[in-house]
Amino acid sequence: MSTPAVERLEHLLGIVLHAGAVASTTLLAVGLLLLMVAPSHPWASWATTAGLLILIATPVTRVVTSVAQYAVERDWLFVTLTAMVLVVLLGSLLVARG
Amino acid sequence: MITISVALVAVLFLMGALAGTLGALLGLGGGIFLVPFLVLVLHVPMHLAVGTSLTTVIATSTVVSAGRLGRQLVNLRLGMLLEVATTLGGLTGGVVAATIPPHVLQRVFGVVAGISALMMFRRLDRRNVILDPSADPGRLGGRYHEDESGGEVTYRVKRIPVGMGVSFVAGSISSLLGVGGGIIKVPALNGWCGVPLRAAAATSAFMIGVTATTGAIIYYGRGDIVPWMSASTVLGVLLGSRLGMAVSEKARAKPLKLLLAIVLCFVCVLMFVRAR
Repeated sequence: MSTPAVERLEHLLGIVLHAGAVASTTLLAVGLLLLMVAPSHPWASWATTAGLLILIATPVTRVVTSVAQYAVERDWLFVTLTAMVLVVLLGSLLVARG
Repeated sequence: MITISVALVAVLFLMGALAGTLGALLGLGGGIFLVPFLVLVLHVPMHLAVGTSLTTVIATSTVVSAGRLGRQLVNLRLGMLLEVATTLGGLTGGVVAATIPPHVLQRVFGVVAGISALMMFRRLDRRNVILDPSADPGRLGGRYHEDESGGEVTYRVKRIPVGMGVSFVAGSISSLLGVGGGIIKVPALNGWCGVPLRAAAATSAFMIGVTATTGAIIYYGRGDIVPWMSASTVLGVLLGSRLGMAVSEKARAKPLKLLLAIVLCFVCVLMFVRAR
C-alpha cells in the first residue's frame, strides 16, 4: 500500500494535524494562564476560545484535506466517502445551531 | 455554572493528567477515567463532563496521529471508510444524549465502562498476518514495517459490514459518554476483520478525533463545553498520556494493567451506584 499517493496523503494529513495540535495547545495554554493572572485582559478568553475552536476544527480540516487530495488523485470512491463524513459534520453543526 | 478559580484549574489539570496517564497505561483514552473523576469527585454535571471529555479525546487523537502518520501503520483507506459509520453514530449519539436524563446517562456509562474493563482482562492478541510480503493486501488491506520482527506485515480486511456496524455503535457511545470508543472498535477490527492489533489501534486512534468532533460540536452548541474547563483538562490529559505511553513502552507491566482494570471496574460501580 506504500504507493506515492498514500505517502503524499499521509504527509499532508500529518502536517494538518501537527499544525492544529501546536496552534490549539499553545492558545489554550496562553489563554488559561492569562485567565488566571489577568482575567480582565481582552486576550484571555479570546485565546482560550480560539484554542478550543481550532482544536475542534482540526479534524474537520483533516477531512476537507482528504476530500481534496482524493479528488486530485481522481479516486472518486474515496472522494465520496470522505465527503459523506464532511456532510455528517455539517449535520452536527446544524443540530448544534438548531 | 462553575466559576473559574486557580485552584479549580489546577485540580482539572491534575485530574486530566491522572486520567491521561491511567488511560495510556491501559492502552485506552483518558475519557474512561476522566468522566468519572469529574462527576464523582468534582460533582460536575454529567453532560458537562462528557462535553469536556470529548475535547480531550479530540486532542489525544490529533497529537497521537500527527506523530504516527507517515509510517503506514494507520490504515487510511479503512479509516476513512469506517469514519462514515463512526461519525454517523457520533451524530446520532449527540442528538440522543440531550434526551437522556443525567443519572440515566451516568448509569449507562457505568455499564459500558464496566464491560470495557472486563474486556481488558481477556484481551486476546490474535495475529492476522500474512508473512509473504508479496501477498496482495487487497483494496482495503495494509502493509507496514514491524520493528520487533524487522519484517513487513501484510494483512487483508474481512467482514467490512461488521466493521461498519461496530464503528457506528462505537461512534454513538463516544458522543453519549465522552469516550473515544477504541475499546469497542479495536478488538472487533482485530478479532473479526483481520486487522493486526497494532494497525487496528493506530487506525482507531486516528478515527476517534473526527468521531468525537461530531459530538463536541453538538455539546458546544448546547453550552456543555466550557473553554477554560476544556483548556485545563486537555493540557492535563496530553501531558498525562505522554507520560503513560513513555512508561508503558519501557515496562510491559502486566500486574499493573490488571490492577488498573480492577480500579476501572471499581470506578464503574461507583458511577452506577452514585447516579441520582
